[in-house]
Amino acid sequence: MILDYLNLEWIHPGLLLILGAWVLPLLNGWIKRSAMLLLPAAAVAVCLRMTPGTYGEVGFLGQVLVFGEVDKLSLIFSYVFSIMAFLGMVYALHVQDDAQHVTALTYAGGALGVTFAGDLLSLYVFWELMAISSALLVWQRRDSTAVAAGFRYLLVHIFGGLIFLAGIALYWSQTESPELLEFVKMEPFADGAGWGPALILVAFLLNAAVPPLGAWLPDAYPEATVTGAVFMTAFTTKSAVYVLIRGFAGTELLVWLGAAMAVYGVVYAVLENDARRLLAYHIISQVGYMVCGVGIGTALALNGATAHAFAHILYKALLFMGAGAVLQVTGLRKLSEMGGLYKTMPITLWLYMIGAFAISAVPLFSGFVSKSMVISATGDVHHGAWLVFLLLTLASAGTFLHTGLKLPYYMFFGKDSGVRGKEPPANMLVAMGLAAAACILIGVFPGLLYQLLPNDVDYHPYTLHHITATLGMLVFTALGFFLLLKHLDPEPKISLDTDWFYRRGSSAFVALTQRPLARLEFGFVGEIYEFVIRRLVLGVAGLMREFDTRIVDSTAVGVGRLTQAISQILRTTVSGNAQHYGLIMVAGVLALLALTMFVL
Amino acid sequence: MNFLERQLEDPVRFSRIKRWFYIGLAVVALAEIVLPLMCYLLKLAFEALNLPALAELFHTHPPHFWFEWIPAWGSLYGLASCVVIIVVSKFLGKKWLMRREDYYDS
Repeated sequence: MILDYLNLEWIHPGLLLILGAWVLPLLNGWIKRSAMLLLPAAAVAVCLRMTPGTYGEVGFLGQVLVFGEVDKLSLIFSYVFSIMAFLGMVYALHVQDDAQHVTALTYAGGALGVTFAGDLLSLYVFWELMAISSALLVWQRRDSTAVAAGFRYLLVHIFGGLIFLAGIALYWSQTESPELLEFVKMEPFADGAGWGPALILVAFLLNAAVPPLGAWLPDAYPEATVTGAVFMTAFTTKSAVYVLIRGFAGTELLVWLGAAMAVYGVVYAVLENDARRLLAYHIISQVGYMVCGVGIGTALALNGATAHAFAHILYKALLFMGAGAVLQVTGLRKLSEMGGLYKTMPITLWLYMIGAFAISAVPLFSGFVSKSMVISATGDVHHGAWLVFLLLTLASAGTFLHTGLKLPYYMFFGKDSGVRGKEPPANMLVAMGLAAAACILIGVFPGLLYQLLPNDVDYHPYTLHHITATLGMLVFTALGFFLLLKHLDPEPKISLDTDWFYRRGSSAFVALTQRPLARLEFGFVGEIYEFVIRRLVLGVAGLMREFDTRIVDSTAVGVGRLTQAISQILRTTVSGNAQHYGLIMVAGVLALLALTMFVL
Repeated sequence: MNFLERQLEDPVRFSRIKRWFYIGLAVVALAEIVLPLMCYLLKLAFEALNLPALAELFHTHPPHFWFEWIPAWGSLYGLASCVVIIVVSKFLGKKWLMRREDYYDS
């Protein structure tokens, strides 16, 4: 079975990365650097060569695990995940830290494993692998804040994983074919569905960073290493979008969660001062469009969610690469301390701006052709379609406001902070250049992306109305930005999010409950102890002691005395003289003779 | 000195950029009002002239929601969104969400 799985009919690209990663520490110099690029490039090639079908079925403890469920949906996600692994490795090529490379490739491999998982159990295995390897990417920055953030990140994801496992167990108990837990579309709110699908949905929403379960994302991503954060932006949330498309397309709750999420990210981005955390809040906002598209569930909406995930991975990686480059050369992460960097980092600025135009859905950039599919699909929402449309369009304006205007303004222009960076290492610029080229390529030739989408839909992004309305929205957002500029100055503050509940809430809870608890302890529990436990225990102990002294001791003493008495008697026969012993022996022989003669 | 530096450091050039920005605003807003209308009229004209091929060239996909028919809808909603986002977020931040940077350390 295992050999079937490994033969050349089908190679798992995720396994290729996960196992191949362990070769890197054995290599050195240019050979290692070529291997770092060849591994993800091979994964891209394997994904591109794949044809739809079901592969890699493995029997394990009477259970069928399907590692290779290949269809158009899993293929397009595998393309972008493997391409992203390649871009990330180019960006990390200068890093002399094998542990980072191994975990990054394992993480990417986990995402590919999730993509091709045809059953819930193998999905769960790769799901947990992603959680652990990404937590390692946070830890590898190796300072105290990163270690703490990594622990919070890991605990949240372990919590999510347990919910997922509980969901699987409940789903399992109701399924008709327990030997194969096929990962198919679920109805969490249908009659008789039980809690299984609902719990699985919650676990997926947690990984998609849907509020209030999403605070782990802006908490952890800015604490990761410069190169690790680039990997993190791509895989966890987008693999969650992928499993939502597979499992929960058309769940109406997701429409509203997605729309709320798109706006939520934008609100926090206004307040944010940390460059990479601002971008992290915009991941939440952008994933909101995808979650909304999954909730709408029509062919166009699902195509939109998929296309937006594809475009988003590339431009968001580019944006994180830009902010990471600034962090790398200046050591600065707060916008309030930056400014004037355009003089020394013009290439980084321009490449960053291409990503910013792409996320802001400027015509001819990738976001324009992907985001508009979701927004066009809002017409199919049954109730309150207009509100969803308005919320998503508002969030679009907010995206341009922050990623396209606020962040570059305060980072590269604005008040000159006197900080002088230089351009980052060439490999970082090359990675950014490749990602930027992809953003433009998709924007100019949307057909390249559309032909890969799971559903056949005839959609044209470049209509006159769409272009003019988008341009109008963008330039007037810019006007609003410059009019309100003095109110937008980033402040050296942090903002409360739902991570408060496990960062401060727990200690506040302890402080709040301490007094009543103490009272309970010293008053009620103490009294109970005093009058019930102590008396009872002492009373029982007294009885035991009595029993011990009276009965046990006297028995022991009695036995001792008896033994002494007997030994006194015996002592008299043991005189130490040989003639006495001889006499006793003769007496014994005579007694035996008498016994044999008279009795027998 | 790179290209951007020359443009931004020189006050004359900078005010020229500003002027172009305002002109751009006007052009975009006007385009949003005029172009769809023009296309619609041209399409009607070509249909009246019995030239369906040319009429098809100026066919535009009508917007879905009624408010998208408001002249310069994109520009108006963009400006309004921008202002609302900044004002509401800052209000929430000042009144509730923003804390000292060492809030979680203490």
